[in-house]
Amino acid sequence: MSDLRVIALHGELDIARRDEARFALRADGDVGAVLLDFADVTYADSTILSTLLVFTREMGIRGVPVAILVGTPQLARIVQYAGLSDILPVFNERSDALTHLSEGRR
Amino acid sequence: MSEPPELRITRRAVPTSAAAMRHALRAFLTALEWEEDAILDIVTAVGEALANAIEHAYEDATEEAREVTLYARAAGDGLLSAEVRDCGRFIERARRPGRGFGLRIVRSIASDVSLETKDGTSVRMLFDTRKMHKAL
Repeated sequence: MSDLRVIALHGELDIARRDEARFALRADGDVGAVLLDFADVTYADSTILSTLLVFTREMGIRGVPVAILVGTPQLARIVQYAGLSDILPVFNERSDALTHLSEGRR
Repeated sequence: MSEPPELRITRRAVPTSAAAMRHALRAFLTALEWEEDAILDIVTAVGEALANAIEHAYEDATEEAREVTLYARAAGDGLLSAEVRDCGRFIERARRPGRGFGLRIVRSIASDVSLETKDGTSVRMLFDTRKMHKAL
């Protein structure tokens, strides 16, 4: 996948790192698909979910598929608790995330 | 009879305090030897209340007033009551377009949630670890 953009973040993504997350997740440039590699993220709160939601929607408008690779069950669960499972595509396995991106590319 | 285990921690209401207070809660719950899934969810819910207090409660306050307190008390049978209190003003979620997941998350995890907005905001949560995880 030559025009795949991988954005990797790590550690605890909470209100203290909101600006960093917003900067990392900016919908700029020409890209075919985006893998958000959060395999090393150990915690995320709703401020990050909001950033993810905005980013995913903006990329969706541009027809660019997004996949979120998670390592901790906390991130997958907070997406569910927030009622965003149908909007934020979360995967536990990298291969599943890449398959999702391949199937959703322009 | 020994007193139920308690945690009380007060920090300046600044973004970097959220992680420190979550870590203290996690250490408290780990010492109780509760299941990791329950700890994960309780820390997530309380973390939302902390983030909300830090983000919204003090927007008009003076620097001296910027404090947030977490109080947690374990009862028998896997019950935990927790309270996040600040002295700032409560901001309704309707005033924050695109936000508002925090309270939804708290309500998804806690067995009971109540808000009091007199002299600041207090979010009280009751967690029943015997009933958690079943919604997922």
